[in-house]
Amino acid sequence: MFDLYGKRFWLFGLSILVILAGVVGYFVNGGFNLDIQFEGGSIVSLQMEDGNFDTAKAEEEVSKAINKKVTAQKSETAASEGKEKIYMLVLNVAEKKQSLSTEELTKVVDTVSKSFNIKKDAQPEIRNVSPFIGEELLRSAIWSIIIVSILIILYIWFRFRTMSSGGPSAGVFGVVGLIHDALVMISVYAIFNIPVNESFIAAILTILGYSINDTIIIYDRIRENSKLSRKTPLPELANKSIIQTLRRTVNTTVTVLISVITVYAFAVYYNIDSVRIFTFPLIIGMISGCYSSICIVSPLWVMWKQHQSKKPTVSKA
Amino acid sequence: MKGKDLVKFFAVVAVIAIMTYLAFAPNGTEIPGVGTIPSAYDIRQAADLKGGLDAVLAPKDKDGKAYAPSNDELNQAKSIIEHRLDAKGVLDRVVAVDYGKKRLTVQIPLKKGTTIENPGSTIDDLGKMAWLTFREIDEEKAANGELVAVEGDPIIEGKNVKKAQYQRDPQDGSHDVALELDDEGTKKFAEATSRLIGKRIGIFMDDMLLSAPNVRVAITDGKCVIEGQDTVEEAVRLAQDIQAGAMPFKLDAESTSSISPILGSNALSVAITSGIVAFILVCLFMLVFYRLPGTIACIALLGHTVMQLLAISWLNITMSLPGIAGIILSIGMGVDANVIIFERVKEELAAGKTLRSAIDVGFKRAFTAVLDGNVTTLIAAAVLLYFGTGPIKSFAYTLIVGVILSFLTAVTASRIMLQSVSGLNIAKHKWLYGVKGVKEQNV
Repeated sequence: MFDLYGKRFWLFGLSILVILAGVVGYFVNGGFNLDIQFEGGSIVSLQMEDGNFDTAKAEEEVSKAINKKVTAQKSETAASEGKEKIYMLVLNVAEKKQSLSTEELTKVVDTVSKSFNIKKDAQPEIRNVSPFIGEELLRSAIWSIIIVSILIILYIWFRFRTMSSGGPSAGVFGVVGLIHDALVMISVYAIFNIPVNESFIAAILTILGYSINDTIIIYDRIRENSKLSRKTPLPELANKSIIQTLRRTVNTTVTVLISVITVYAFAVYYNIDSVRIFTFPLIIGMISGCYSSICIVSPLWVMWKQHQSKKPTVSKA
Repeated sequence: MKGKDLVKFFAVVAVIAIMTYLAFAPNGTEIPGVGTIPSAYDIRQAADLKGGLDAVLAPKDKDGKAYAPSNDELNQAKSIIEHRLDAKGVLDRVVAVDYGKKRLTVQIPLKKGTTIENPGSTIDDLGKMAWLTFREIDEEKAANGELVAVEGDPIIEGKNVKKAQYQRDPQDGSHDVALELDDEGTKKFAEATSRLIGKRIGIFMDDMLLSAPNVRVAITDGKCVIEGQDTVEEAVRLAQDIQAGAMPFKLDAESTSSISPILGSNALSVAITSGIVAFILVCLFMLVFYRLPGTIACIALLGHTVMQLLAISWLNITMSLPGIAGIILSIGMGVDANVIIFERVKEELAAGKTLRSAIDVGFKRAFTAVLDGNVTTLIAAAVLLYFGTGPIKSFAYTLIVGVILSFLTAVTASRIMLQSVSGLNIAKHKWLYGVKGVKEQNV
């Protein structure tokens, strides 16, 4: 049988490496890249008649019209029906923490429609958030993570309290696994400087709720096996339990990954941002959740139990 | 026994088939005496799917500084915005007041084939200060059925109204609005009403006529009553609107999001296609790995997915793109319980248990693990529902509905189907359950 427990330090190392890279990324990129949803800002996208337009010219004219620095980009989207493509001119107010007033929005649209070929009957896409609202949303996002963590810890504590062997300490390491998953997700965002928005928060919360799933299954099995063979040393027992449940741990994650990756692939191909930025963190979180259940939580817990059994004075746990 | 098992199996399949039909009936299904069951086609779509305009408006005074309105003033502002949208023929909108944060949220969905070509100016129009005026009605044009004001200065303005209140006439029980004017208004109104006896005075919000009462007597004390509203609601609203004419603030957009209907409908069809592909892939995976139970899991998954669609439609939950992602996520999570249970059944079979007891033990042992995982996901989704905004709320809803339904289908539909099928001789072969080394372990 594969000795997972024996290789535990390599497995821990991998996670630590990812999280360290996240810390480095955080400082290299100068903090998190907050989306305009959390920081305030303005993005206006206009659908154009064709792909022939000069973004530099758009930049210049719009910047002049509203007296704020604006960057322009071209974006192409494959339409789901027919071969026609959708061409967009994406205007970004360059300075962060600056949203546009409604008059300024009107000016932006008017300026572009005067000198460019905007598609008729198309509605401009606008995301305009004042820094004030952004701050408020960020605050409630952080609160939601804190509250979910507390509630899940309470639930795990309640469930594991009644567990005959290992009880509370098993719960504690289950929570360590959750923290691990959240850290890995945050690290990936810090490394690649991906904008953090409400979708990301929703993804973290979903993973916090979901990832304890696999951990509980492994714990259950360790408990069952320890009843069957009391003389087997704990590391061997844990290793056996992890391997026995490996397929269901992996398969439950695989079915979710199949569906999430499918959606992600479609969103990338058709350039549907809101879906893409929502599913990406879920993919990271699912993989991390599976990994932490198998490679982090149970080995750590076994180490703790070993440590405890060497100290005969501790009767509890 | 066999016959009974078959009946059970096909009963579950039939229920799922009926729900699938209900979920995809284009116009809902009418059931006599019960009403119409809405289908997936009736699910309300958020702006990111069908296009539209969402804005959060905050009150500002004339100089653009933040203004702290009372709850009454916020209600008045809401009423004014609704009037303005009525005038534009936008009836399918949502205007909501957040009393705590002193803000208004306006959601304007788009009808098929329409667009808002300049969202900035649209919102500006909605949020500008209301100008309430009392004007003389042009009686010549009124004869042609067209109620418009005569050109020129209004008789009085909203700011001249000190108080507008609903009251009920104690004698004839009609619904009235009592007005009280300030000194300047009293003077001007006295002059106008003595001149216009027998004629009409129109009360306008911007350019829109709210009411055109007849002048019966000259009103010289600045107190008058507008009679003849049909219902309490109408009279209360008129009073509110007249009072609001004195509203000393405008509404500025703090956040605006405008979504083009073309991109929205494009996103919707892509999302639906990706959902179907995901469903097929998950089913293939289950079939390859779990064979007979896998087939049953696929039937149960179909049941779970269509029930989720029906529940969303029936509860009138607004779907957004993240919401659809939530449904697809539930497809992946929905088979989890099955995977956990089937793996357990496989193990029990490999350990030499009979099929029936392996299935019983499998479901029993896996139950708590499945429950725990679902409870923690529910906790996260519930908090998300509380804190999230629009599109994310819709995700939280679908996740909650999905988790509950997948749990229910796993412990009911999957179990009944598997148990009943396992009673058939043809289903006894352990290969069908993905157990290797059948011969050695066959006890």
